[in-house]
Amino acid sequence: MKKILLILLLTAIASSTFSQGKRKSPKPSGGQKNSFLEKQFWLGFKGGINLSQADPIKRYSVMSATNYQSGNLNKTYNNFQDVGSQATVEITFQFRNLSISTQPTYSHNVISYYNQFEWTNTEDPSQSLTQKYSQSQGLDYVTIPLIAKYDLVGNNLKGYVHAGIYYSFLTNALKTVSVSGVDLASGSTNTLSSQPLIVGTKDLFTNYWGLMGGIGGSYQMGNVKLVLETSYMHGMSNITNVKNRFSNDQLAGIGDAQDDIKLNNIVISAGVLFPMRFLNSNFKSFDQN
Amino acid sequence: MRLNLNRTLFIVGVFAFSHCANNSDPVADKSNFTKIFDNSQFNASYYPVDMVQTPDGGYLILGGRSLTTSSFSGTYIMTADAFGNFVSAQEVDENLVDPIGNILTAKGKYYFFCMTAIGLQTQLIEMDATGTITNQFNVGSSYPAAAAQDGNNFLLLSYDNGNKLSVMSKVGPDGTIIQSKGYKIGAGDDVEAPIIASFVHTGRQFPFQAGKNSSGQYFFNGFYNYTFSLVFTDLSSNNPLGVVQGQQSSGGMSAVLPLEGSTYSIGTFNFGDNYLLPSSQINSNTVSSASDLNGNSFPELVTNAKVKIVPIILGAKNYILYGSTTKSKQISLYAYDKTSFKFSGSKYLGFSNPFEISSMTATTDGGLAVCGTTYVAGRFPRICIFKISSSKLQDSFH
Repeated sequence: MKKILLILLLTAIASSTFSQGKRKSPKPSGGQKNSFLEKQFWLGFKGGINLSQADPIKRYSVMSATNYQSGNLNKTYNNFQDVGSQATVEITFQFRNLSISTQPTYSHNVISYYNQFEWTNTEDPSQSLTQKYSQSQGLDYVTIPLIAKYDLVGNNLKGYVHAGIYYSFLTNALKTVSVSGVDLASGSTNTLSSQPLIVGTKDLFTNYWGLMGGIGGSYQMGNVKLVLETSYMHGMSNITNVKNRFSNDQLAGIGDAQDDIKLNNIVISAGVLFPMRFLNSNFKSFDQN
Repeated sequence: MRLNLNRTLFIVGVFAFSHCANNSDPVADKSNFTKIFDNSQFNASYYPVDMVQTPDGGYLILGGRSLTTSSFSGTYIMTADAFGNFVSAQEVDENLVDPIGNILTAKGKYYFFCMTAIGLQTQLIEMDATGTITNQFNVGSSYPAAAAQDGNNFLLLSYDNGNKLSVMSKVGPDGTIIQSKGYKIGAGDDVEAPIIASFVHTGRQFPFQAGKNSSGQYFFNGFYNYTFSLVFTDLSSNNPLGVVQGQQSSGGMSAVLPLEGSTYSIGTFNFGDNYLLPSSQINSNTVSSASDLNGNSFPELVTNAKVKIVPIILGAKNYILYGSTTKSKQISLYAYDKTSFKFSGSKYLGFSNPFEISSMTATTDGGLAVCGTTYVAGRFPRICIFKISSSKLQDSFH
């Protein structure tokens, strides 16, 4: 979140700096204005939050049940509940209502899940132990998308739809595991908890690709555009490194093995776009009349 | 021309993205895995005795289980598929107790020794690859301690508590004793007490072992003449051919792997300390002392650690692989070059919960399967398997 605020702050400063230029720019003619509207490169910065969903392709577990349903071992994923963040540089070529854009993004996604196990004394059912393993997996990616945008109706305030394809490069992964439980076999209720175990898990994941689409709106403030958009990013390939599934002894020791999963995201971003054609010493974010 | 270019781009695109698909890989799933076989019973405990790989790539595990009706441990037979997934388990009748390794093979069947809880008579149990018991033979001797393969027959070390003898026998797959010889452990209850404590799991688990060296001499690692010793025998002479003496019950061999001639890979223990000797010269026709065999000290291992030794080929290189349990409750693997006997590397298995080694075996895909006990939630003893591919092992061993 701090990253996003920092980016927005820098954007505002940049916008302010450009708009306070002392030099007098040549007044664009009507033709220039039309040309500006019809064909333009935009450079901008966006930031925001994302919510992730792990979509299991095939489930795995270190634990193998010998006297209960193996389905009990399945991880319960918390879908679209953990907030991540992202920062984006947008480069867009616009021709009339249609734009082609690439938006390299550094994102931090979070998926979380839990397993719960219970052991009961068959001779005295009041004696039992329940343990819950809560896992939060942070995944950092650099994503390179190729997006087509289409502007909908509007003048200064415009709506648009966009769709595209993307490829995400894994840059880092970190897992936090917390174990909690209730022991009813120690004479009374004994609530258990442990210090979180933090494990580097980059080896357990790999790059992936996906398709994306979404809607947004832009507000033309002088020559700059303020944008607010939301996208759904649908992972098309497995993000798990299948060769290293059991390679982390710390996680295997507590019974965790990575499922094969696809990663889906809801992304909400806000930012500002600058017209590249006017990014010179004469640039004004607001035209002088 | 433009059509061809588009088609080429399309093919390249499809290839690029299908290449990125990173689909599930059954070969990888079989090559490397960790499995813990959990049971939801709070008061149940299971431990493995030995494990073999079955022709379908799966695993047949002989284990023990806690009994409320006996001081001995019950018998537990479990199977897993090639991916380590649980297939079946059988809690064998409570009258068959104290199963011992190794799991033996003959005529496509699998065998193990155990004894009756009432009468303490050794039984040879025949089973198929699914773990189903297909036959049971009464062998007759008491307290089976260790077994080994001898061609199509089996070697059995047992303890005759009536005559206070360590008995080495050659047993056929039908349970008949082909040849047998007993050797006195020494007079007095003090010598016998730790042996019985080992059988009822109230005392130290001694590393009993039976086998045959490259010269065709039989050997057993057991009690002889007041001392835990490595005893060589031809199964006919009244006296041993040779003996490597320990220090009463406080020192001796923890594992023995005969190599060529008088060369052995061994592990020793001495008042709690552990030593690994990948190349040790032992004269099987004289009396010597285990404490005179200098070895590599491993203070990281638990006191009087259980040690397993297997030969393994990784890539084109031959290794002697030791497996044991560390004080930090991990399973440790130590590899030595089989040619130079120099240390080649180590690998540690397990974390968070305690892990203890039970057995390990080279697998048909060139990898290694290690079977052990882990304590789920830090308290419930359960059987576990680590399957490690040849390439992962080679990453650890130079």
